Amino acid sequence: MQPERLYKTWADRKEAAQSYLESVNWPNGQTEAWKFTSLSHLSDVVLNPPKQSSSIARAARLDGEVLNFTAGLAPHLAAASLPAGIIASDISGDKAICHKAFALLPDNHHLTALSASCQTAAVKIEIAGSAKIDTPLILQFTDGKIDEASHPFIFIDIADGAHLHLAELHEGASSLSQPLILVRLGQGSTLDHIKLQDEANHTTHLGLTLFRLDGQANVNSFSVSKGSQITRMETHCFFAAPDAQAAMSAVYLGCDNQHHDITTVVSHEYADCKSRQLIRGVLDDKARGVFQGRVRVAPDAQKTDGQQMSRALLLSRDAEADAKPELEIFADDVVCSHGATVGELDETLLFYLKSRGIDEAEARTMLIDAFLVDTLEEISYQPFADFLRGQVSGWTARQTGVE
Amino acid sequence: MSLLEIKNLHARIGDTGILHGIDLTIGRGEVHAIMGPNGSGKSTLSYVLSGRDGYEVTEGDILLDGESVLEMEADERARAGMFLAFQYPVELPGVGGMAFLRAAVNARKRDAGKDEVDQLEFVKMVRAEAKNLGIKDDMLKRPVNVGFSGGEKKRYEILQMALLKPSMAILDETDSGLDVDALKIVSEGVNLLRSVERGMLVITHYQRLLNHIVPDQVHILAGGRIVKSGDKTLALEVEENGYSGLGDAA
Repeated sequence: MQPERLYKTWADRKEAAQSYLESVNWPNGQTEAWKFTSLSHLSDVVLNPPKQSSSIARAARLDGEVLNFTAGLAPHLAAASLPAGIIASDISGDKAICHKAFALLPDNHHLTALSASCQTAAVKIEIAGSAKIDTPLILQFTDGKIDEASHPFIFIDIADGAHLHLAELHEGASSLSQPLILVRLGQGSTLDHIKLQDEANHTTHLGLTLFRLDGQANVNSFSVSKGSQITRMETHCFFAAPDAQAAMSAVYLGCDNQHHDITTVVSHEYADCKSRQLIRGVLDDKARGVFQGRVRVAPDAQKTDGQQMSRALLLSRDAEADAKPELEIFADDVVCSHGATVGELDETLLFYLKSRGIDEAEARTMLIDAFLVDTLEEISYQPFADFLRGQVSGWTARQTGVE
Repeated sequence: MSLLEIKNLHARIGDTGILHGIDLTIGRGEVHAIMGPNGSGKSTLSYVLSGRDGYEVTEGDILLDGESVLEMEADERARAGMFLAFQYPVELPGVGGMAFLRAAVNARKRDAGKDEVDQLEFVKMVRAEAKNLGIKDDMLKRPVNVGFSGGEKKRYEILQMALLKPSMAILDETDSGLDVDALKIVSEGVNLLRSVERGMLVITHYQRLLNHIVPDQVHILAGGRIVKSGDKTLALEVEENGYSGLGDAA
């Protein structure tokens, strides 16, 4: 379970990552983990690290303390005025910390290997237990150029009993955007987390966000994927002690020939933990959506409660949705459920709305919003909920032509 | 000018012809009833009139206020004054009742070049109409038709009719699934909406609804045609003798 012993040093890990990447090259649909998402288009391009540029301060679309990662490079942390209780430090030169952090990430995993090998930034953010932090912390990822690859790594360490509101806003323009966010939640700590993937339409977004929870920790996470050309958005949850809870839901919105792959991995290693996932996708034009959800329940993880439900709504005959729930349950006293559906807008419901004088575009908007509304209600922190609702309804209005 | 004129209407679903030449004229202030056995084309007629996709008119015309509605989508017809109270109102999970009612009312207002209705004023208006129909506040807060009983769904249809104030209302088997008490409440709601400005087409299988909503004229539909027309006594005749025999008159 702790692969630390495999690699003695950061240099060992980095070398192993490089040889792993050389052996597998880019996943092309041959392996089970990348069955629905091929990255073979990346083997034809030469990707360069981002050029050093002075960090451009940008206003975030959400109120909070902003750390701006320009083209995947670290912000100038000394200049950042963070509230008391949040300490951010550049750890790109600190091999010991990087080594320790990566020991908490899955091994033989394409995205962790990529990050270890190609990091463009490494930042550690510590949240003190005593601090009372009201404003959200916003990690904003902007800019970047075609043929550039951005690989920022951010390790967030939330002390026992602390609380954090954390937003990841991915709005960059590099050809490849590969953010890796590791969040360690100390005992009894809580986290409200959102992730918005709204990158430029030529971008390949390969995101991994991993939550590692100590006892009684609680994370409420919600992701929206709507930008980029090809998206693989992985969210992992690792229960490292009993009695913790995770809600990690997501909405993906696809149009044109976008590809959105939402992959989740939940590892119940200890007893009495609860995980809950609601996934909804809306796909128009020739877009393709994928949901892969693995829930592993270890032999000792009795009284696990693991819920997972994914639903996709196809707005076009050429859109496609795939779902692959994987439950690996080794304990016998658990409550686990999963389900997956794919459907179209119901003609009868559309006619009902139209028969009341509501035009086609508005009727479709109402039904798409209705399909997503209960999922969006999972977001517990109101400013985050309002922000993502706006993102989702903006997309729907654009697709139906209401705006 | 007549409010609704149906002329030699032929319609089919896919390759199956259902309506084979219906002629019917309804004037303002008139209530007409269409009765007929199962499979006679009653529900098809209601869908063809309201413009549901998949119902193809192959011959004839439908005029509302003298204008053909055949080229109009369902929503355009609704804004022009057509209203269908559904036999089976559908549930819309996730669509808030108030937002739905307001969208419908505003769609008509916008079309008529009027200002959209103010939210507070609208809530007051809905509550007043709902009270007449015995609809509780709790029902108005729920998503459209979700968790409503059969009777509540039908009352909600009449509430929509009261708010939209259509010129031509079609009630498709509004009595189905209602017990005697619910039938009474719904009928009273409909009767309150009878007006010299409004035409109504009441479609029913059974005569009992017509004891409550008394029609000016009754038409018998069989095999996709109107085979007999008369005053309200025709309904009693059907009650007495059944539909058998009437079809032969065609």
